[in-house]
Amino acid sequence: MAIVRLNKLSVVGLNSSKEKVLSELMALGFVEIDNQEDKLADESWGALLSKDGNEERVAEFDTSLTEVGAALDALDKYYPGKTGGLFKTRSEIKSSDFNKALERKSEITARVENVNELYRRLLALKNEQNKNDTFVLGLKPWVDYDVPLEMTETVHTAILIGTIPASAQIETFEKAVTSVAPSAIVYKISTDNLQHYISVVCIKTEREGAMEEMRNLGFNPVVFGDVAGKAAENISKFEARNAEIDNEIKGLEENLTKESETKQEIEMLYDYLVVERDKNKMVGNLIRTNDAFYFDGWLPAKRQDKVEKILDENGCYYEIKAPEKGEETPVVMQNNAAVYPFEAITNLYGVPSSADIDPSPFIAVFYFIFFGMMLSDAAYGIILFVACLVISRTKKLEGLMDKLIKMFMLCGISTIFWGFMFGTFFGNVIPVVSEAFAGARVVLEPWWFDPIEEPMKLLIFSVALGLIHLFVGMGIKAYMYIRDGQILDAIFDIFFWYAFILGLIAWIGGGMISPGLSKVGLVLTLIGGIGILCTGGREKKNIFGKIIGGLGSLYNITGYLSDALSYSRILALGLATSVVSQVFNQLGTMFGDNIAVKAIIFIVVFIIGHVFNIFINALGSFVHASRLQYVEFFGKFFEGGGTAFEPFDKKTKYVKIIEEE
Amino acid sequence: MVNGAFFAILGAAIAALAGIGSAIGIGIAGEAANGVVAEDPKKFGQTVVLQALPGTQGIYGLLMAFMILSKIGFLGGEMVDLSIAQGLYFLAAAVPIGFVGILSAIAQGKAAAAGIMLIGKKPSELAKAMIYAAMVETYAVLALLISFLMYNGIQL
Repeated sequence: MAIVRLNKLSVVGLNSSKEKVLSELMALGFVEIDNQEDKLADESWGALLSKDGNEERVAEFDTSLTEVGAALDALDKYYPGKTGGLFKTRSEIKSSDFNKALERKSEITARVENVNELYRRLLALKNEQNKNDTFVLGLKPWVDYDVPLEMTETVHTAILIGTIPASAQIETFEKAVTSVAPSAIVYKISTDNLQHYISVVCIKTEREGAMEEMRNLGFNPVVFGDVAGKAAENISKFEARNAEIDNEIKGLEENLTKESETKQEIEMLYDYLVVERDKNKMVGNLIRTNDAFYFDGWLPAKRQDKVEKILDENGCYYEIKAPEKGEETPVVMQNNAAVYPFEAITNLYGVPSSADIDPSPFIAVFYFIFFGMMLSDAAYGIILFVACLVISRTKKLEGLMDKLIKMFMLCGISTIFWGFMFGTFFGNVIPVVSEAFAGARVVLEPWWFDPIEEPMKLLIFSVALGLIHLFVGMGIKAYMYIRDGQILDAIFDIFFWYAFILGLIAWIGGGMISPGLSKVGLVLTLIGGIGILCTGGREKKNIFGKIIGGLGSLYNITGYLSDALSYSRILALGLATSVVSQVFNQLGTMFGDNIAVKAIIFIVVFIIGHVFNIFINALGSFVHASRLQYVEFFGKFFEGGGTAFEPFDKKTKYVKIIEEE
Repeated sequence: MVNGAFFAILGAAIAALAGIGSAIGIGIAGEAANGVVAEDPKKFGQTVVLQALPGTQGIYGLLMAFMILSKIGFLGGEMVDLSIAQGLYFLAAAVPIGFVGILSAIAQGKAAAAGIMLIGKKPSELAKAMIYAAMVETYAVLALLISFLMYNGIQL
């Protein structure tokens, strides 16, 4: 459990075995290989060694990856089956099957080229279709114009075509034109919202004059470029071409759909290329001489025998040693099945430093309790639990998503428990429905008490739970001090505070139980308080610094007070869930005269209301339960800022390769 | 006619005003979310989670309003005969969540909007963005708590 101990690995081997060593370590997937830049910068190393690297091959693989990726993107659009959606998963495959599938690499590569070609053609056709559509749209107003579009003159006359604003009157326009060009005749072809489409015929000698007058009146000549023939002919020609293209596109799409049905093969090629690319990229992390290579990195202490075997078989010299005291190592957590999901909360915050204690086991306890108390509705708990159970059973999730889903599943159990403790099931739906529809009020008795009736009780319980949470956090800090040999720090900074806070509580509240307890409390408070006052400024040099430091340290009691009060949100969020569900339940029963109408309205309000409530309150519980960990709990001991352990493994996207012995 | 019930109902109204803050806060966050989703439509899920955060104040207000109305019997059943003093107690109890709700939801909306910007650049940092926004909500929670304790202490 907790943070896995990593050992440092240094390896020297012959270049001839380099490829094999890297491949085998990659297949193992739990050795981190560090970048050796700093060694090269160091003179005693840099003079002898140079950076290794396979940049050219990496670039080659990257180019192929782009090609294959483009083909997969294209195929995804035509894939008839379902894609993973929110919960994307990798399918598992044995490494022998994977290798077998890739014996057909050249065929698959040919398929990729084919797919890309098909898609390129498809895009070109769609492009052409768009162009044709725009063109046809421009020709539509001229459909009744039965002169070939390229014809601008006859032997003696000029033909002008164009548009004038729809606001202009054709008659007035014609009059104005004929006043300068008496031979002109204006034909209106068509009209739409914005303009009239017209053609004007006049004797050639009058063309210039007519044109100038028409321009003044808002005439805009229209040119059709290299189109020949009448508008109607052209429209039908382009439409026929588009119909043809439709057919071709359909054919191409069918082809793509067919290709996409076996896209798994191409996905495997993609993953193969990723693995090869990464392997070649990793070579760049190595340093070399003419004959030998060197690298160092990290590996989990418990699993080093497998690595040793590989290195021995390949004739490498290596050294595995524990990290020096205080040396920062990469961090990876390993926990049992009950704690593992709650690593999500730690992960979302960041990576612990290698000096930290893994907080996940503590989070597993407190997050579980807090979340349940905040959502605190047995029915919501059942919904959450079942939904997450179904997701985690039907999908092979990995990483953070897997942890989160399992975490919510566990929190669902806690929610069910606290729901029954407080007697809520969809709020108060049982009493409300039984009263409205059956006439007799059936009450779901809480196992413990109803927080709406006795909020003070839950408030005190929440803050007490919070104090325990804080004390555990402080206890971890004390453990870390003692582990590092700073026993005095543990006493001064933690145990005095324990005495002070517990003493205060007993002194103020203990009188209710027995006067003796109050006296014990007073003594404890004094011991703790005086201790803090005397030691709080111990790092300061002069006497004034020490006094001020001690006072300042004692003033931290406000910090503890606000930390403890922060846990009152457990009560507030719990109330929010139960009261809002009560609002919806009551709203649902307020309308309708006969029982059928009433029932229908109730069901509608019930479903909408509770879906909304469960969403908003599950979100709230998630956020606030996290906050209590991050701000109040982590604040007491957590350092963070570590680097995550990044083993050299196969970072495939589509299939998970299962290595065989 | 000014009587106890009037003040109690006025209190419920003031509590429900917290919704103003939530509406503004969600609006601010929504504007930012639109900008981020314009760049990358896949971020809808993450941004909508952040956008929903300032919505809770409105719910707290609704909660308080509903509890007052139901305690004085306004939502069916017998109306309780309230003295002026009792009515004013309800009015006072509604003030914390009403006012803190409005202002904290607006502030939280701004924090959520900034968080949405953060998601735009670093989608993996959703949890941190949520925590920053939730820090603001603490004070709405405290206001709700004090409103509720005051309400709970009112003897009829």
